[in-house]
Amino acid sequence: MNQQVNAIGDACPLPVVKAKKALSEMAEGTLTVLVDNEIAVQNLERLAKANGCAFSFAKDGDAHYMATIEKTAASAKDVQGAEAFACAPAGDTVVVISSNRMGDGDGALGKILIKGFLFALTQLDVLPQTILFYNSGAFLTTEGSESLKDIRALEEAGVEILTCGTCMNHYGIADQLAVGGTTNMYAIAEKQMQAGRILRP
Amino acid sequence: MRQKTQKLVLTFDTTAAVMALERACAGQEQLGRIIPTPQAISAGCGLSWCALPEREAELTELCRARDILVAGKALVEMYG
Repeated sequence: MNQQVNAIGDACPLPVVKAKKALSEMAEGTLTVLVDNEIAVQNLERLAKANGCAFSFAKDGDAHYMATIEKTAASAKDVQGAEAFACAPAGDTVVVISSNRMGDGDGALGKILIKGFLFALTQLDVLPQTILFYNSGAFLTTEGSESLKDIRALEEAGVEILTCGTCMNHYGIADQLAVGGTTNMYAIAEKQMQAGRILRP
Repeated sequence: MRQKTQKLVLTFDTTAAVMALERACAGQEQLGRIIPTPQAISAGCGLSWCALPEREAELTELCRARDILVAGKALVEMYG
């Protein structure tokens, strides 16, 4: 039995609540859910995975997504609750990189970790809106950085890359910015104030 | 539109091993790079080596010559 749920225009968590209800009523089959935002797609994916269902989605136009959940005999019999699927806060995700190392401890490991983190960002299906680089984080966007390829890929995919001008001046690398633009403390404060979520590795 | 392509991922039993491979490949970007181990391979924490699949023989020989023990190999669809 196949079903379709139209959750266009529904505020979170309604899409996942509707999908859960439809899944509960299905023995096996394909559930198609129409939504208009990526957060809903992510929540539907969590719902599918939590219940052992295959998941895929397609983007149709600017703001329409078709999520497909395949329920099989191997899927969970009792569909898990949608209560666990928290709605993301309104606003964009801003990543704040304040150091050219990730975490305290071994410096060499810290450099590998921040490189790995920036690579991991490139592998996300939904990318952050902005990445802010300041203090020694400025070394990551300037010439000689081993993360330039990843940061350029993020910029090409539409992520705003901003590096603190004061920081580059302090380190004497102001003429070596290799990706993105220069920013100042007002913009750094404003971007974080307006963010729905801030990631700080 | 970002596209996923197939990449060769080498895994190691220790962080030291993959860091040794990074040193061995310094200045040779075409040989690949360190990445966090993709979740498609393991849900655990770890670092791996990512390269184009056609570099497999070269990397295998380099690891053998430097006594770097490769724990596993996989092909993974990744962005970039």
